[in-house]
Amino acid sequence: MNVTYNWLKEFVDFHETPEELAALLTMLGLEVESMEKLGEGMDSIVVALVEEKRQHPNADKLSLCRVNNGTELLDIVCGAQNFKQGDIVALAQIGSVLPGDFKIKKSKIRGEESCGMLCSEKELGLAEESAGIIVLPPQCAPLGTPVFTALGLKDTLFEIGLTPNRSDCLSAIGIARDIAAKLDLKLKYPGSPVVEGAQKVESIIGVTVEDTDNCPRYAARYLSGCTIAPSPEWLVKRLNTIGVRSINNVVDITNLVMMELGQPLHAFDCDRLAGHRIIVRTAQEGEQFTTLDNQLRILTSTDLVICDAERPVALAGVMGGLNSEIENTTTSILLESAFFKPATIRKTSKKVGLHTESSHRFERGIDIDNVARALDRAAGLIVELAGGVLAHGCIDVYSDKKDRAAITFRPEKANKLIGIDLERDAIINILTRLECRVSPGSDGSVLVVPPHYRIDIEREIDLIEEIARLNGYDKIPATMPHARVVSDRATRHQEIEKQIRDLLVNNGMTEIINFSFTAPDAARKLLLTDDDPRHLAIKLVNPLVDEQSVMRTTLLPGLLETIARNINYRSLDLKLFEMRRVYLPGEAENMPQEPLCLVGAITGSRDGDEWSRPNELVDFYDAKGLIETVLDFLDIGGVSWKTEDPETYFHPGKSSRIYAGREYIGSVGELHPSVQKNFQIEKPVYCFELNIEKIVKLSRTKKTIIAPSRFPDSSRDIAMLVPEELAAVKIVECIRAEKSKEIENVQIFDVYRGNGVPDGHKSIAVRIKYRSFERTLAEDEIATLHNKIVENLINKLQVIVR
Amino acid sequence: MREQLEQLRSGALQAIAAASSVEQLQEIRISMLGRKGELTALMKGLGALSAAERPLVGQMVNAVRDEIESSLGAAIKSAQEEVIAARLQSERIDTSLPGRRPVKGSKHPVSVVIEEICSIFAGLGFAVAEGPEIEHDWYNFEALNFPPEHPARDMQDTFFVENNLLLRTHTSPVQIRTMLKQKPPVRIIAPGTVYRCDSDATHSPMFHQIEGLMVDSAVTFGDLKGILTVFTNQLFGQKTGVRLRPSYFPFTEPSAEVDIACVICGGKGCRVCKNSGWLEILGAGMVDPEVYRHVQYDAENISGFAFGMGIERIAMLKYGISDMRLLFENDVRFLRQF
Repeated sequence: MNVTYNWLKEFVDFHETPEELAALLTMLGLEVESMEKLGEGMDSIVVALVEEKRQHPNADKLSLCRVNNGTELLDIVCGAQNFKQGDIVALAQIGSVLPGDFKIKKSKIRGEESCGMLCSEKELGLAEESAGIIVLPPQCAPLGTPVFTALGLKDTLFEIGLTPNRSDCLSAIGIARDIAAKLDLKLKYPGSPVVEGAQKVESIIGVTVEDTDNCPRYAARYLSGCTIAPSPEWLVKRLNTIGVRSINNVVDITNLVMMELGQPLHAFDCDRLAGHRIIVRTAQEGEQFTTLDNQLRILTSTDLVICDAERPVALAGVMGGLNSEIENTTTSILLESAFFKPATIRKTSKKVGLHTESSHRFERGIDIDNVARALDRAAGLIVELAGGVLAHGCIDVYSDKKDRAAITFRPEKANKLIGIDLERDAIINILTRLECRVSPGSDGSVLVVPPHYRIDIEREIDLIEEIARLNGYDKIPATMPHARVVSDRATRHQEIEKQIRDLLVNNGMTEIINFSFTAPDAARKLLLTDDDPRHLAIKLVNPLVDEQSVMRTTLLPGLLETIARNINYRSLDLKLFEMRRVYLPGEAENMPQEPLCLVGAITGSRDGDEWSRPNELVDFYDAKGLIETVLDFLDIGGVSWKTEDPETYFHPGKSSRIYAGREYIGSVGELHPSVQKNFQIEKPVYCFELNIEKIVKLSRTKKTIIAPSRFPDSSRDIAMLVPEELAAVKIVECIRAEKSKEIENVQIFDVYRGNGVPDGHKSIAVRIKYRSFERTLAEDEIATLHNKIVENLINKLQVIVR
Repeated sequence: MREQLEQLRSGALQAIAAASSVEQLQEIRISMLGRKGELTALMKGLGALSAAERPLVGQMVNAVRDEIESSLGAAIKSAQEEVIAARLQSERIDTSLPGRRPVKGSKHPVSVVIEEICSIFAGLGFAVAEGPEIEHDWYNFEALNFPPEHPARDMQDTFFVENNLLLRTHTSPVQIRTMLKQKPPVRIIAPGTVYRCDSDATHSPMFHQIEGLMVDSAVTFGDLKGILTVFTNQLFGQKTGVRLRPSYFPFTEPSAEVDIACVICGGKGCRVCKNSGWLEILGAGMVDPEVYRHVQYDAENISGFAFGMGIERIAMLKYGISDMRLLFENDVRFLRQF
């Protein structure tokens, strides 16, 4: 809602500066989103008197003037012809900057000095076109007064962002009313004297409201002998200032009154209304009607229409019809002021896609009490500006006039909820200032009837809010609550999420966040089999773009796209992870599931290419190591790594599925070359995935800590030749199978292929550390145990000990 | 014997002085004082002396041995020091070369801000609560007192999914889920992902919010102001000005927009705060009785407040980021700075 400082001042006599007023409005909940000083920086354009005017010696069309600016006489060269000696003019003095960044400098024009410029309306940005300079009325203001001040154009425009509950402030009077309530000042309504003719309105026009439910009040007045003409300057300027285009005097008046009083009005050319009748009814299904914007509208039975004796002439509350609009030749006018049911107007406006200043107000709810007042104000203005005669009386179809229900309000409840301590009288005073009717209730409560225009006030809590608002949010002391202790431990879920994030970040990984929605073919790029449940993504009904039209079932595609994008930006060494939800359809009637998942991907150099170490590239074991670190940290027991049935998006020979017991908890592997290609990545990428929901369930809450042995250890190494296919883990398992308490650690410390190792074989070296918790192990004890282990390896795995 | 001893002494001292390494000195020790050493042999010869001479000569031998030993000790020590000094000199490195750093990881700024805010509220006794992102209309709108015709319920603002579900447009449904699960006192903070049909430099179709809810027997609007003042001071600095001004939300009444003094210009007015000196950072208010009705709380005997804020907005203000899209492009050159 746009409103100016001077305009508000017509209704309330406040003394605040524009800045103070802006702060006051914002703290009333009427947020001033912007403030524009009109005529600012134009103070050096002043009212001046032309004391002398003579012909320029060197130019026929120019004159030389001596102009009095109140303090001195200046020589000015002027090209306009429309003024004479003794006229009051607008003088732009040296240093003035006119609209369009036009600077006024001392200059010589055809050999004669000019110390400024006499301005036209166009040059001052007051009109689109002007013939000649401005000639002001004599004695309009003392010489030297800034012209914008003299013209009353010094003003401040406020753009106010209204919350949807404050429809009462969709007018200058509404905003003024809140200012008056806040400052405890009197509100002055704008008035035009209503001078009526002798002829009774009922004898000329008739109004029938068939649908009183959708139109509880319909008022109309009739004017004849009007002259449609351009509006006077003050009206054009006022409308322009608040962003409304001027059309003609009558239409402008209806717009002005709407902006002023919040009541949308419509003026019909009465001669074009069949039978001089108005019938308010719902439209017939399929009924056709052309609105003012020259669009043919096909109506339905939910639309409310204003008709004459034969056909629709307006789409109620939304837009008038082409068939009855005011034209330059119009002389008789039927002026409508009505209240339409908000929901009906909202529905029609939305359906036909027409959102007008009028529908905006009707759908939020206008003041039913204000219908006649606005009608009178507009009628009075029309008589004043367009001439003509106003018929006697007013048609006002308002059958079911209802008083608003009283709200039981407890002043002490307001104090208690807000946390203030206002006197009962002070609270009642606030309500009275808000034009509520207050009467005593029972048990110390009061009965409050809010004014019609405050449709947002219906309950006690609404009144409590008004007390807080009018008294001022800034007057509420900031206190700390007296509260009972609540258990506030984070859930296991949240703790583990944070632990994993910290762990990965501390291990050099960067967290990313991608959108939860993705392209429908995202899962397909992973080469998932047709029966893979990850194809069953939840679809958005109204996506913004196709690439964001389904909820993701796996985090991997987003991560791979991120890898590709970063490689494009020449960031080649990447260690990224994302820990977010995926979205899976619920079974039958159940809600979808949103399990938290983790994916990570690494590519490029392991430690960064730096001077002190060889530039090694990451590989499968780096990815596996990261996952092992996470599983280890969370103390997940019974972890096994299986190569069978690899995920389709991984290299089948360089991946494993991770199990905890029988539970499939994740996977790790090198990206399949075809998947790599699908995501346009040219370098190998190693990924891991983990289902955090399962991890949370498996994570042990209690770690068992073992005190270290105080006895010395003894290590034995075994180097053995094994077939290439033998998984190293089998060797470790075979050693561990000896279930001896004395085996403290089994470590693979070398894997070798090449010289001395036959083709199809590899040499694996294992170090076994023996130690007892009870004593120092004797040499022969160790030898016995170790020999047994070596025998087992030879017998069970057919290794060749080197 | 005495001459022999004197010869031995001077010979040993000369040899010690001439020795150039710890090894040579050790050899001198062995040749003099070792089991087969010269001085040791002399000691063995003492037995041949008369009982009267023996103690005298014995004393002399001992004196010579002590002298040789202390001389040797000093020589060895200085030789060792020389060795260390030489080694230190030879082992000099260029310490100006860069250190060997572990690769640095980083949390996403959204995570950083969520963790920081949650930890501030944890200190105020708020537990972390969660809820689904794919929500029922009832939790997202109906129970929060959004009228059926509210524009937020339009397809223009809300993403809908199959089966009459929607992507939650705010974290407020967590309020409802929490209150349905537990009776007062309630004190929760609910961070989460939310969605709206909007995409430009300051809007993202997916973003994050944190919701707060406190319900107890006598919580006041002043308490809301107190809690939010503590919070903003901890997040943005002790002296950050805070302003509550009237606003409107369907699920709170009275409602407030909460502004902080502009962190960019300090309140003087700049481009970021549109010359107002204030930055809007969160919406808040007292829980509307209509919400209590939906969760079967007795509005007459309890009261409480709720507040919600956009994480991205706070991250942008804290780090001076002007385009929200940067947060979701996942360019590591951006992310690694956090």
